[in-house]
Amino acid sequence: MSTRRSRSRQQSRVSTEITDAQITDLVSKLQQLIPELRARRSDKVSASKVLQETCNYIKNLHREVDDLSDRLSQLLATTDSNSAQAAIIRSLLM
Amino acid sequence: MASFDSSDSETLREQSNHKKRRKIGHHTAADHNSAAAAVPWRSDAEQRIYSRRLVEALRRTPLSPARPRAAGQVRETADRVLAVAARGRTRWSRAILARRRKLWTHHEKAKKAPRNGLKRTTERTNRLPAVQKKTRVLSRLVPGCQKISFPNLLEEAMDYISALEMQVRAMSAIAELLSAAEPRRPESPAAR
Repeated sequence: MSTRRSRSRQQSRVSTEITDAQITDLVSKLQQLIPELRARRSDKVSASKVLQETCNYIKNLHREVDDLSDRLSQLLATTDSNSAQAAIIRSLLM
Repeated sequence: MASFDSSDSETLREQSNHKKRRKIGHHTAADHNSAAAAVPWRSDAEQRIYSRRLVEALRRTPLSPARPRAAGQVRETADRVLAVAARGRTRWSRAILARRRKLWTHHEKAKKAPRNGLKRTTERTNRLPAVQKKTRVLSRLVPGCQKISFPNLLEEAMDYISALEMQVRAMSAIAELLSAAEPRRPESPAAR
């Protein structure tokens, strides 16, 4: 819609400009999430390193989920479906 | 038509959806004070709800006898239930849900104009080739985030990581429960 776009153009100086400080802040927040980098001081870790470790960490998490999916598919195939799974749902509700 | 910027694509999506949603990067004064918009991936309650929904969804899914295919089915189900748990607030979750819906494919094809999302920043570091390359890799790892701005990508990545961690915790716990519940039977040919 052109009205929405022209309105955002007028405000563009305020709403779409991204400051260096914002970026630095986000990068350090991201760093806190990565176990590899959590202990290190933000000013000692480069943005490049944070991005690198973030990618590695996500890849590891994906791999874990894949392994767990494989394990679950096996367990579900061999488990006596109704009783065991009903028991699990019950315990998950507690 | 002039070239689209990332806010336009968001506008398109918002128009096509009836629910009102806030862009994850759209900061208001309220956001800084309360974490109302963010899903509490770390909370036990959230994990319990996810686990229950996942088990229910898996029970409803007829799993293929072929092990790789069955594992894929479990993965897809786990991702879908995770995306639903995100309550539509993030791009990665909407992208996961869109994987199965052909309607979205038409939207994707309509937006052909090039976007400068990744370059829209004043940070000198972001123009370094090493950072740009890693940013691109990251944008491919987080679903639906290949053409968004750098700050939005970081925010999506943070939420996605927390969600994935919960997914791992939940699936591990379910696997433990299932292994414990099942007394070890001698292997029979029919079981595989």
